[in-house]
Amino acid sequence: MAQKRIDRRSFVKKMAAAAAMTAAATMFPGIVFASEQEQGIPSGNLDWKKGPCRFCGVGCGILVGVDNGKAVAVKGDPNSSVNKGLLCVKGYHQTMCIQAKDRLEYALVKKNGKYVKTPLSDALDLVASKMKSTLEEHGKDSVAMYTSGQSTIPEGYVASKLMKGAIGTNNLDCNARLCMASAVTGFLTTFGADEPMGCYEDIDHADYFVTWGNNMAEMHPVLFSRMLEQKNNRGAKIIDFATRTTRSSMASNKSILFEPQTDLAVANAICYEIINNGWVNNKFVKEHTNFLKGKTNIGYGTEDKFKFKDEATKISFEDYKEFLEDYTPEKVAKYSKVSVKDIKYLAAIYGDPNKKVVSFWCMGMNQHTRGTWMNNLVYNIHLLTGKISQPGNGPFSLTGQPSACGTAREVGTFTHKLPKGVVMNEKHRKLAAKIWKVPVENIPSKPTYHATEMFRAVDRGDIKFIWTQVTNPLVSLPKTGRYKAGMEKDSCFVVVSDVFPTPTSDVADVILPAKWHIEKGGLYGNSERRTQYWQTMVEGPGETEADAWMTIEVAKRMGYGDLFPYTKEGHVEEIYNEYRQFHEGKKHGMAPLEVLEKESGAIWPYVEGKSTQWRFKSEHDPACDQSKEFDFYGKPDGRAVIWQRPYEPAAESPDQEYPFWLNTGRVIEHWHTGSMTRRIPVLHKAMPHAYVEFHPEDAKKMGIRNGENVKVVSRRGSCVLPASINERGLPTRGQVFVPFFDENMMINDVTLDAFCPISKEPDYKKCAVKIEKV
Amino acid sequence: MKRLFFIGLFALLVVMTIFVWSKSYYTSQEEAYVALHPETENAVLTEEEGVFRRSKFANDYTEMNADFKGGRKLNEYYKNRAFHGAPPSIPHAIAADGVVGEKACLKCHQNGGYVSKFKAFAPVAPHPEKANCRQCHVTVNTSGTFVGDNGPRFARPAVGNAAFVGGPPIIPHQIQLHENCLACHAGPAAPQEIRVSHPERSNCRQCHVVNNKTMTDIGNFLR
Repeated sequence: MAQKRIDRRSFVKKMAAAAAMTAAATMFPGIVFASEQEQGIPSGNLDWKKGPCRFCGVGCGILVGVDNGKAVAVKGDPNSSVNKGLLCVKGYHQTMCIQAKDRLEYALVKKNGKYVKTPLSDALDLVASKMKSTLEEHGKDSVAMYTSGQSTIPEGYVASKLMKGAIGTNNLDCNARLCMASAVTGFLTTFGADEPMGCYEDIDHADYFVTWGNNMAEMHPVLFSRMLEQKNNRGAKIIDFATRTTRSSMASNKSILFEPQTDLAVANAICYEIINNGWVNNKFVKEHTNFLKGKTNIGYGTEDKFKFKDEATKISFEDYKEFLEDYTPEKVAKYSKVSVKDIKYLAAIYGDPNKKVVSFWCMGMNQHTRGTWMNNLVYNIHLLTGKISQPGNGPFSLTGQPSACGTAREVGTFTHKLPKGVVMNEKHRKLAAKIWKVPVENIPSKPTYHATEMFRAVDRGDIKFIWTQVTNPLVSLPKTGRYKAGMEKDSCFVVVSDVFPTPTSDVADVILPAKWHIEKGGLYGNSERRTQYWQTMVEGPGETEADAWMTIEVAKRMGYGDLFPYTKEGHVEEIYNEYRQFHEGKKHGMAPLEVLEKESGAIWPYVEGKSTQWRFKSEHDPACDQSKEFDFYGKPDGRAVIWQRPYEPAAESPDQEYPFWLNTGRVIEHWHTGSMTRRIPVLHKAMPHAYVEFHPEDAKKMGIRNGENVKVVSRRGSCVLPASINERGLPTRGQVFVPFFDENMMINDVTLDAFCPISKEPDYKKCAVKIEKV
Repeated sequence: MKRLFFIGLFALLVVMTIFVWSKSYYTSQEEAYVALHPETENAVLTEEEGVFRRSKFANDYTEMNADFKGGRKLNEYYKNRAFHGAPPSIPHAIAADGVVGEKACLKCHQNGGYVSKFKAFAPVAPHPEKANCRQCHVTVNTSGTFVGDNGPRFARPAVGNAAFVGGPPIIPHQIQLHENCLACHAGPAAPQEIRVSHPERSNCRQCHVVNNKTMTDIGNFLR
């Protein structure tokens, strides 16, 4: 293809001219620039700085154009193998949010019910003294930190070191509990090692993509585009398996709809078919797998202080086959509403030894009261057929947040986690104590509160001090009504670090002004185990400060200065170098900073100067026992587990009184609770508010018109939203869907805080509601 | 011979009886159930589906010379419309007044292509399923007006209206009946100024969003 070549200078000039023209063209309504943007259109060459995108777990490489110390342009990094120069609409406009008029630039301290602008240093003094006095009065487990899968690696690391190493409490959890805890427990139970074995390059090799409850066209758009490219160029096929018809369904070769929660049964039916048709890879199953079963009827965690511990029992392949007799396609079709033909079709895709299949999933399977089981079941399909750890063949659990993998999972900002391993394991505690230079007795061996239980403890008055960073729990937690009331109580001192005011900062006693993404340096780790590093690109306004540095400052004020000997300018790099020691070795070695500085990220295990793209197959992974073809070294015997997991119903299903399923999720234009993306004019205009989607026949039966306000009511609360019929998505009959980005239409007041007993991840996709006309 | 034929026929009947009986027996063993809903819903979200409708041609579009200078200019495109967003009029003579849709217009306008008679590339209809074309598209049979008018004209949007330097242009028009981006933005009949440089990226709305989901200006988000 003959393309006209233009140099960067003229490209930028052209773009600038176009943008200026548009700014001038005010007669054409809609495009509004953030005020500074209109003035500062660059005329010369821009300084392009490399980093990862701020938003989702895909981890696209971005280049930010900086002119006179201001970020004025964003483009995809052509050197990044993740996105190869392409971004999505959020990515292209991301830096526009930092100029929002209500940016938090100074610390605010609540005095007599009013927020008073306070020097940052004084605010940090107050946070430290409050934390210290709470510890002295009420004990170690009365203080808590709640961080994020959007925290950088250094931010997560110092939070963990402060809470677990210095103070000595496991009261540290993060919002990643709400998005991929089930993926973690799925990986650990099946493989004994967290995070996907494959990488995005799988897309270039697969013949089939099966997306399980995953609207990738909106949620992982850049990866979806890569899939579409393969579909158009090579004839690869996309099979969308979901409870709602979406943009992804429209672009797929086939869309199969199922009744909420019955994905458990369909996955078992696929395994039944694979065995029944003799499609099992017997050699692989014999040499590399074990069969186990766990407890059943495991509950839903809706009550306070819910406890559950799974117990694994060894079973034989024959036992497993007998168990699957309950899941013949004919039996499952009756309650899953998936036809026998479609179940057999799915099984045939996985069963064909000559076809390479990648399964993708994200929140549909993770935000599930049987999320761990569901993850196990999809692994079963890949293990039975041996389609794993090879280019184009494998299960691929996608993450939602940009560093859910890098920070939450790898640094371990969960109550039970340490940067390497778990608090329950003495060896892991000893390693942490050695690197942190604290006595091993400091690190408690028992996990305390997971996210939901942490906010229940705030409500009960057990937690007297909580500090949230990089997250907005009072929009994102399920059943927010209870937790908002809890946070408002005088019994708990609330510190919120954020970039913008949110419903969470509304209940804070101290608001700390945080620097946004490009105003600080950091590291993120994406879904394919890729670690990416960026340096400060622009200065933050006012007294804004990096979250990691604020944690360090508080730690110093509390008397832990010796443990945090980092410099303000170099803390990101110093912390990363300290953290790398945890993962040394062939199984999880992290790339050194010099490499990350030059390259657009590197995949761990980074061994002898090379990223390991596929784990567990000795051909690709130097950590494997090279005498075997596959080595699932997360497990002591090197064998992955095929789990016997039954179908169990949802925590709350529609009934006479509440006849609809409520499903919640995201839209392409907004990132999670919308605190950033709603402040980007382009995105706000494209998606100004939330809505409730109906199936047209349900709407017709109730006489609801498109755009008409209706009330969604559950046993917990209610929310009024405009109806949406045949627009962005189409739920199945008897189901409604609401996106959760809109703090003015709080659908999480309506959702249920039931969670997977193993992962403790709430199910945002299923509860019962009724619809009232308003 | 005759005997053999009858014995053969009888044997065949026995075999068939056993086959039919056993098949019906096994069928009767299947548990009875009524599917709660029809097996497929065949749902189509027009707004979402349209984007991908012409993506099967995306690779052909990519192969087209990017510097191709033939085809229309944006001015000509607008000249044919009463205002931005109005249905274009039919700028050429048509064979017969009585024909509709697939029998006439869609012959050229379903997929486009060069029409030697007009020495032009036929524009692709973004909504070929609406076959009663002339419900909205009329011919131009006179150049005069009945009384003339002095009404204002709705300004058409600028080209290259990115909100941010380097950012993807925003969709400046409503997408109702125009969900099918590639119909107007790719191929030889696409106006030169709005021809997309990357037709192979078929998920257009991954990067390009509408700027006017609501009908009135809503301002910026502020709490």
